Amino acid sequence: MRAEPTLATGFPDISGMTVARQAHWRRWLAAAAIVVVLAAIGRAFAGGQIEWSYVGRFLNAKVILDGIVNTMVMAVLAMALGIVLGVVVAIMRLSPNPVLRSVAAGYTWLFRGTPLILQLLLWFNLALVFPTIGIPGLWSGRAVDLMTPFLSALLGLGINQGAYTSEVMRAGMLSVDPGQYEAAQAIGMGRLRALRRIILPQAMRVVIPPLGNEFIGMVKATSLASVIQYPEVLHNAENIYYANSRVIELLIVAGFWYLLVVSVLTPLQMLLERRFARGSQQIAR
Amino acid sequence: MKRRSFSVALTALVTVATVQAAELPEAIKQAGELRLTVNSTYAPMEYRDPTTNELVGLDIDLAKEIAKRLGVKIVWSETPFAELIPSLQTKRADFIISGISDRSSRRETADFVDYLSTGPQFLVLAENAVHSVGDVCGRKVGTTRSTSFPVEIDKWSKQNCEAAGKPAVEYVPGENSIDVRNQLKQGRIDAAVQGSETLPYAEQQEAGKYRVVGEPFSTGYQGIMFRKDDVALREVVTQLLAAMIADGSYKAILDKYGLGANAVRQPLMNAATQ
Repeated sequence: MRAEPTLATGFPDISGMTVARQAHWRRWLAAAAIVVVLAAIGRAFAGGQIEWSYVGRFLNAKVILDGIVNTMVMAVLAMALGIVLGVVVAIMRLSPNPVLRSVAAGYTWLFRGTPLILQLLLWFNLALVFPTIGIPGLWSGRAVDLMTPFLSALLGLGINQGAYTSEVMRAGMLSVDPGQYEAAQAIGMGRLRALRRIILPQAMRVVIPPLGNEFIGMVKATSLASVIQYPEVLHNAENIYYANSRVIELLIVAGFWYLLVVSVLTPLQMLLERRFARGSQQIAR
Repeated sequence: MKRRSFSVALTALVTVATVQAAELPEAIKQAGELRLTVNSTYAPMEYRDPTTNELVGLDIDLAKEIAKRLGVKIVWSETPFAELIPSLQTKRADFIISGISDRSSRRETADFVDYLSTGPQFLVLAENAVHSVGDVCGRKVGTTRSTSFPVEIDKWSKQNCEAAGKPAVEYVPGENSIDVRNQLKQGRIDAAVQGSETLPYAEQQEAGKYRVVGEPFSTGYQGIMFRKDDVALREVVTQLLAAMIADGSYKAILDKYGLGANAVRQPLMNAATQ
């Protein structure tokens, strides 16, 4: 079919006109309303029962800085443990071996099915069940000497994280086309080798965003270890306000550090995403 | 002599109470209720009865008696120990009666009406090698980190261990009384420090498990906390407490929890020395 003539004579020539800017007055109004509300909240904080001098004094106090370092050390180590466990459990979950599959499913069920704080308290009080721990003939010791707040927190957070990460990893592995497995088998690769060289590198691209999410969650979940006396930043802030009663002031200090850490982590996650997206052009730009 | 001057003082106090009975603040009178906040993890002062889940305890009984005499009912709320003072400041609570020690550091924000004598005391497992307070030096001692006890342990250690050339006590933080006793059972700590008012109850719960070492190593008071500007309410409650001490209802409540020995002779204001 032939197209209609696009410009019939008789229509006004609009080629010299420009598009008028819309006023968007509703946007301005909404923005103004938000600014007013924020200013009111800010003013309330400034004039409330908050002694800002305490916030300033403790913001970079040594005990708080030590706390945020401990928070980050625990978050990184527990996340590393969680990822290792998660990969292993995800591979077990997708294995043809029914024993491995059941163990993996049982692990996820148990550690995802109970609250993290409960698990932390159990690890910390493990000596009530096992007074001594050791390897027969090699070494043994009192459970309380082994289960320090640090190790209790690491095991509690890491093993719990592993249960969640295994599902993220499994999703990543399932996202790789089954044809890739078949191709790897066709050129003579075993299952584990195919996983390591073909499947996992491609799965990484998919799992980085949810893992970044989980890591940010982990940074804040370390605060639960305060109840088993791991000296992370919230624990240390609490100790200060137990002594000087400046509760909100110290909570603001701790909140500032959490926000700062998460603000630094977000762009780091984007860098990591780009790195793992090298082979996939539409995201790599 | 001392006894006599005391009874004279008491008579004077009661007289004052009857002559010019302080007025309950209008807002409380209008509402017909007292709003009280407790941290219910401190048996037998305030805790939840394991079978009924009711708030019970010495402080609860005292508060109920005060409310009864004022003709108002109590609306309870709960909070972590460290949030008790903020609860008072933000007026969530009208006053705080929750096993809290009168300490000068806490008087920046509140006034205390002291109603129970108390002090931190060492507690060990019955079979432990610690037999006198001197044995505690150089050992791991746990206590609830949100209380005033860590500071008192440090002070005690400086005066009784380090000054005598013995190794200092090693302080190990705990989350609450139960956690601290739990660490004692596991051997994570050698001794616990708990308020003397909690020990008869602990002994009753787990008979023969623990042994108290020595006397309370500092003497202080537990107090009811009032906002500094809430003078009228403080006066009303002080006079009621004095009346309850005089007519024996105060003593009856203390005896119910095996704490008759911790009674005060009259309500005291900001009387603790530390």
